[in-house]
Amino acid sequence: MALLFRFLQAFAVLLLVSAVAAEHTSNWAVLVSTSRFWFNYRHLANVLSLYRTVKRLGIPDSQIILMLPDDMACNPRNAFPGTVYSNADRAVDLYGDNIEVDYRGYEVTVENFIRLLTDRLDEDVPRSKRLGSDAGSNVLVYMTGHGGDQFLKFQDAEEIGAWDLADAFGQMWEKKRYHELLFMIDTCQANTMYTHFYSPNIVATGSSEIDQSSYSHHADNDVGVAVIDRWTYYVLEFLETQVTSVTSKLNLGDLFDSYDESKIHSQPGVRWDLFPGGEQEGRLRTVVDFFGNVQNVEVENANATEPGSLKEDLAEIARLVEKWQKRDEEYSAILGNSTGNVTQDLPSSSLHLKLKSTVGTTKMAEDTSWGKRLVGISVVGACTAIWVAGSILGRSSV
Amino acid sequence: MTVLSLFSFPFVALILSLWSSSAFASSDYHEHLLLHPLPQSSLLASFNFRSNTSQQSFDQQHFRYLPRALGQILQHAHTKELHLRFTTGRWDAESWGPRPWNGSKEGGTGVELWAWIDAPGNEEAFAKWITLTQSLSGLFCASLNFVDSTRTTRPVVSFEPAGDHSAADQLHLLHGTLPGEVVCTENLTPFLKLLPCKGKAGISSLFDGHKLFDAAWQSMSVDIQPVCSADGECVVQIEQTVDMVLDIDRSKRSRSNPIPRPVPNEQLVCDTSKTYNSDDTCYPLEKTNDKAWSLTEIFGRSLSGVCPLTDFDGSSDQSVCLRVPHERGVFISEEAEEIKKEDGFTRCFKLAPSVPFDLSIPQQPVNTEVPLDEPVLHAERTIVGHGQERGGMRIIFGNPSNTSAVDFIYFESLPWFLRPYIHTLHATITGHDGVLREVPASEIVKETYYRPAIDRERGTQLELALSVPAASTVTLTYDFEKAILRYTEYPPDANRGFNVAPAVIRIVDTAHDAPIYIRSTSLLLQLPTPDFSMPYNVIILTSTVIALAFGTIFNILVRRIVTLDEAAALGAQTLKGRILGKFVAIRDRLRGKDTKVE
Repeated sequence: MALLFRFLQAFAVLLLVSAVAAEHTSNWAVLVSTSRFWFNYRHLANVLSLYRTVKRLGIPDSQIILMLPDDMACNPRNAFPGTVYSNADRAVDLYGDNIEVDYRGYEVTVENFIRLLTDRLDEDVPRSKRLGSDAGSNVLVYMTGHGGDQFLKFQDAEEIGAWDLADAFGQMWEKKRYHELLFMIDTCQANTMYTHFYSPNIVATGSSEIDQSSYSHHADNDVGVAVIDRWTYYVLEFLETQVTSVTSKLNLGDLFDSYDESKIHSQPGVRWDLFPGGEQEGRLRTVVDFFGNVQNVEVENANATEPGSLKEDLAEIARLVEKWQKRDEEYSAILGNSTGNVTQDLPSSSLHLKLKSTVGTTKMAEDTSWGKRLVGISVVGACTAIWVAGSILGRSSV
Repeated sequence: MTVLSLFSFPFVALILSLWSSSAFASSDYHEHLLLHPLPQSSLLASFNFRSNTSQQSFDQQHFRYLPRALGQILQHAHTKELHLRFTTGRWDAESWGPRPWNGSKEGGTGVELWAWIDAPGNEEAFAKWITLTQSLSGLFCASLNFVDSTRTTRPVVSFEPAGDHSAADQLHLLHGTLPGEVVCTENLTPFLKLLPCKGKAGISSLFDGHKLFDAAWQSMSVDIQPVCSADGECVVQIEQTVDMVLDIDRSKRSRSNPIPRPVPNEQLVCDTSKTYNSDDTCYPLEKTNDKAWSLTEIFGRSLSGVCPLTDFDGSSDQSVCLRVPHERGVFISEEAEEIKKEDGFTRCFKLAPSVPFDLSIPQQPVNTEVPLDEPVLHAERTIVGHGQERGGMRIIFGNPSNTSAVDFIYFESLPWFLRPYIHTLHATITGHDGVLREVPASEIVKETYYRPAIDRERGTQLELALSVPAASTVTLTYDFEKAILRYTEYPPDANRGFNVAPAVIRIVDTAHDAPIYIRSTSLLLQLPTPDFSMPYNVIILTSTVIALAFGTIFNILVRRIVTLDEAAALGAQTLKGRILGKFVAIRDRLRGKDTKVE
């Protein structure tokens, strides 16, 4: 109930000062291709085209998470080493001289993707593999690959479901990991992937309706495979020809209105209902709100007490720490009362672990010493003696 | 011994002599490029970048030439010495001779990493190692985080620290390889960013991913080690090298049209020494070494001046050297200055700062050739056998020397799903007479260091100290068994096979201070791979079987099987049965059938 109240309050504030609410302080992009193998060249080209676009509009490499499941540029089948092209005219080399791939090869898995979004990662995982977005970040999530009704295949081996994705975004919202999120997906039956989203401030768009395929645009005969998908091609055409600089005033409405079903050969979809103010408000967001970079600094009054302020956050964290400490004490008290020897068991198990792992490399030696042979002979002799004695004694007793 | 000392690699000797004067400056930076045309129209380009930072400023995190990103990782992971390699392709020792830097700057195919970590115990060292690999994976855009306990080994005799370490450190050597890792532009990008001039000026401006990853063989390396002078003053040295063998013809093709087209008939150069039956045939002439080429053609760009951070002292300002016979004409840019060395094959160039430098060699028939040494040892490793269950490993060592034996350490780390039977280790020797002799392995193998594998925990580690007699070839074989993986352990491309890391050979040579390293190629192991639709088939089949069994049993349990007469009698007794019987009779009559039930 209290949560709901806070949401409502936040919404009220958002609506009251909509000009302020539109401001975000950073931009992040998560660009994911999910297909392995050379014949899926176009999926990597899709993602790399988007990568070049967001880089052109100012998002730095440190704020782009690029996931490439296979290597196309240095693939032995590639007649153009070190390059990936998304057009048969081969005007732009998407791989270029300066590229940072954050997750590649076998690292691109459903688990890693969800861990990245929700930041449930090991402490050793470096900065470049983390999505460092916060409550002021606009996040662009672009996915492409082979999919179906409410699933998207990863590397031809596993799938991410529409609910998995919705829950990941839900958790991101709870953890204040985005301000507004634009979700784009180019796959067969793409629009089914965003049907289950439930967290606010998301605009989602996909390339095709349920029971529709997404088609590739064209192939390059020298590369030997299709180089780009239709929907991505026309999205890119809009971005490259219309959104020429960070100062572009074109908005999402313009981008979505540019969809031409006769060219795309499938029905692209847009979902507005999660966005505060719905379609009307969402259409007004500029394209560079998601594809470009801002470096706004949010100046916050240190004494502010409205929801979401630093002071309130700190108070909330302090409350949580206290709560957990109390719970921890209670728990340990219960443990201490019920079984006193639990704590004594622990060191012995760790000692056992240590002993197990210290077995290292050893030098193998040919053993020619007579000592061991003597021991062996004496053991065998003793056994024989016991057997002989036993059989003699057993016979005598009968 | 005399023969061995002849094998000293001329590049190394040259470079070492050029730099020995400036090895212990407290903070300095040097770069050097050696171009060496190789047989079969190849060109070896050997780039080297080296800088020193005093230990004191390193400890205080006062970084100048040493990149901060790397320095902080080393300090965080308590790493005292680090060696990282990115390699693709195969060094063709039979045509190209010994490896550059005696193989000490190259790695096995894929990514190879080894480091000396300061930690009180084995477990702490491993924890630091994991921290190190994770951090490096972020820095170099490589999947180094896959170096887990199954891919980590602790070699005993194969590696020795190259730096000078204080006795107080408890150093642990950890070694990991990723033989299947792709090396591409995303690895070169961070590599260049570590250089003081970031690939914008100096010899690093020649780097182009499109050429580097089109090379027949290339190796990028990063080495960081503490170096101490005799008076106890220590510096932290970082050395980055890139070695690549480019095919001159291939590199000269334009980037927009790299697919080779057939040469028109008129342009074919035919071997006139052969006899021809008709005019339309041609034996093309073999590739020769006197091809014309220039830097801009080969690398796609010219060398943009000198990195202004380079320290000039003595002869180290000659940052570009070329190994061709002195009789060959070489055209260079106007501002540059050519210095010919006394050995008759080396010339170095003194570059003018901030002026682009180009070097071009015209086509010219030459009488002398740059002598190429014979490698000390040839090594080859293959998987033999057939079937999904068992296989064998065969390693062939050839000693080309006629006078002296070669002693070396053979190190291999095998994945846990390849289970070797060490007792099947056999050796055969083929002498110069060509006769094959079976010898007990103990005659060849002097020492064995072995750590058996534990499933899903660690791989096998095997180090053998071997000796191959003069002018003979030794073949080692052993059998192994292939494990069956769990369904979820298969990678997405399981049918491609599983990579087995290359073997490392360290030739202990008393004539040299530094050992010679040779790495075999990586191997592909075919494992029994299930049909991945199997679980679904199993589910469908079991469901069908259960449904059939259940249906039959359920039928038997709930139905009573009676004869027709009994059925009629049973039916006639109850009211419901009688009504039903009547109903059936009426229906049958309406359809014009005779009543069956009497």
